[in-house]
Amino acid sequence: MNRVSAEKFLILLYGISSLAILLILLPIIALYLMGDPETFYKVLFQDPILSKEAWSALFLTFEISILSTIILLIIGIPIGYILARFDFRGKSILEAIIDIPLLTPHIIAGIMVISAFGRNGIVNRILMGRYFSVEDDVLGILLAMMFVSIPIMIDTIKVGFASVDRNLELVARSLGVSLHRVFLSITLPLSARSIIAGCVLSWARAVSEVGAILIVAYHPKTINVLIYEWYTTYGLKYAVTLSILLLSIFIVIFAAIWVIYKK
Amino acid sequence: MIKIRDLVVILGDFKLEIPSLDIRDQEYLVVMGPSGVGKTVFLYTLAGFIKPIKGRILVNDVDITDTEPEERCFPIIPEEYCLFPHMTVYENIAFGLKFRGVNYDKANDKVREIANILEINNLLNRYPESLSAGEKQRVAIARALVVNPNVILLDEPLRNLDPRLHSKAREFLKNLHKKLRFTAIHVTHDIVEAITLGDRIAYMEKGKLLGVYEPHKFIESQYGKLYIEALKPVIKYLG
Repeated sequence: MNRVSAEKFLILLYGISSLAILLILLPIIALYLMGDPETFYKVLFQDPILSKEAWSALFLTFEISILSTIILLIIGIPIGYILARFDFRGKSILEAIIDIPLLTPHIIAGIMVISAFGRNGIVNRILMGRYFSVEDDVLGILLAMMFVSIPIMIDTIKVGFASVDRNLELVARSLGVSLHRVFLSITLPLSARSIIAGCVLSWARAVSEVGAILIVAYHPKTINVLIYEWYTTYGLKYAVTLSILLLSIFIVIFAAIWVIYKK
Repeated sequence: MIKIRDLVVILGDFKLEIPSLDIRDQEYLVVMGPSGVGKTVFLYTLAGFIKPIKGRILVNDVDITDTEPEERCFPIIPEEYCLFPHMTVYENIAFGLKFRGVNYDKANDKVREIANILEINNLLNRYPESLSAGEKQRVAIARALVVNPNVILLDEPLRNLDPRLHSKAREFLKNLHKKLRFTAIHVTHDIVEAITLGDRIAYMEKGKLLGVYEPHKFIESQYGKLYIEALKPVIKYLG
C-alpha cells in the first residue's frame, strides 16, 4: 500500500515538474517555429538599412553590457568580500540597499537613474548649471544596465567568498602571509567559480534590460529597444527575427560556459 | 621561551584566564581539558586572531601581544588540517616560504628536505583531495615546520583519524618531535594523547588554566585521577 502511495507521489512530482519545464520550453520552441528564414536573411544581411540598424544595436548592447560587467566586477569584489567576511553595524541595512534594484520595477529603475543623472536630475542641480546628462546617451544605457545588475554581481560574489572555509585563511596568515596576499592566493582563486557566475549572470541581466533603458536612453538603440520598436512598427515577424538572433547567441554562450564548468 | 602573563580573553559570555604559563623552547606542551573549556580560543589567541583584553604574551622577552598573526609566525594545524585544496602538496608546503621572499632554489631545497623527513616526498605532486587523513596530517605539519616557526599550534590534530591509526599517529608525532625538537602546543581532550605526547600537560577547566604538570604527576593529580578512573573499565576488561 505504502509502495503504491510512494509511486503515486513520485508521478505527481514528475507531473508538476514536467509542467514547469513545458512552461519554459514552449515559448522557446514557439519563437523558433515562428521564425521566417526569408525575413531573417532580409533583416540581417539583405536590407542595408534594417541590417545596419540590427547589427549596430546588437554590438552596442554587447559593448556596453561587457563594460557594465567589468565595472561591476571591480566594485563587486571588495563589497562582496567585506559583506562575506566582516560584521559591522548597519551590515543588514547595506545588504538590503544592495538588493533594492532587484525589487524595483524596471521602468521605475529608469526613472530613478534619470532623477539622479538626467537633465533635471540631482547631479545637475549640484553642478549648478554645468550641463551633465545621461539621457539618450551611451552613459545612460551603461548606468541603467549597472543599476539593474549590481545586486546579482555582489550577491553571487558574496556567496562565493562566504563559501570559502575561513580556517584556510587563518592557517595561511598563521604561516606568516599578509591578509592581502592570503586574499589573492587563497580566497580569490577558491571563489573563482562564483565570481565567473556573477559576471555571466550580471552580464545576462544587463543585456536583457529594456524597461529602464527605454526611459533613460531610447537612443542610441540597444537590441532590446530595437526589438520593441520593430514589434510596434513592423509587427511580430520582424521582432521574432531579432529575438531569435539574440536568444541563439545567449544559448551558445551559456552552453559554452556550461561545458567549461563541467570540465 | 614563550611567556604568558595574566591573559584574559572575553568572547561574549565566555572568559578565558591564563594567570601564568611558560612554554620552554623545544617543549611539547599539551593543553588538556574537557570540550568547550576554551582550549581552541587559547590557541587562536596565541596565534593572534583573538585579542586579549588584558595580559601579555612574550616570545624571548619580546612582547607580541599586539602584533598581527602574520608577524608572529605561530602556524596553526586545525583538526581538519585545512590544506589549500587548489594547490598540490608541494605548493601547500612551499606556501609560507613563497610569500616570505625565500628564493626558489632555497625554498625547493627546504620543501624537499621536510618532505623527506616526514616521508611524504612521493605525495608532492598530488592534490589534498586524494590524500588519506594521515597523509593530510603530515602535509599540514610539513607546511607548518618549513617556515621555522616560533611554535606550532596543533588543534586536536588526531581527532579526525580512525581510532585504529591513533597510536601510529601519536608515535609519529613523538618521534618527529624527538628528531626535530620544535616547540609545540597541542590541544586535546584525550588523556592517552596528553600523556604519551606531552613533555608537560597544562590542564584547563571552565576557561581557566588550573595547573601545569609532568605527565606522571598529572595522572596522580585530582584532575588526572578522574580521567584514569574513566579508563579503568577498559583496562579491567583488557586484563
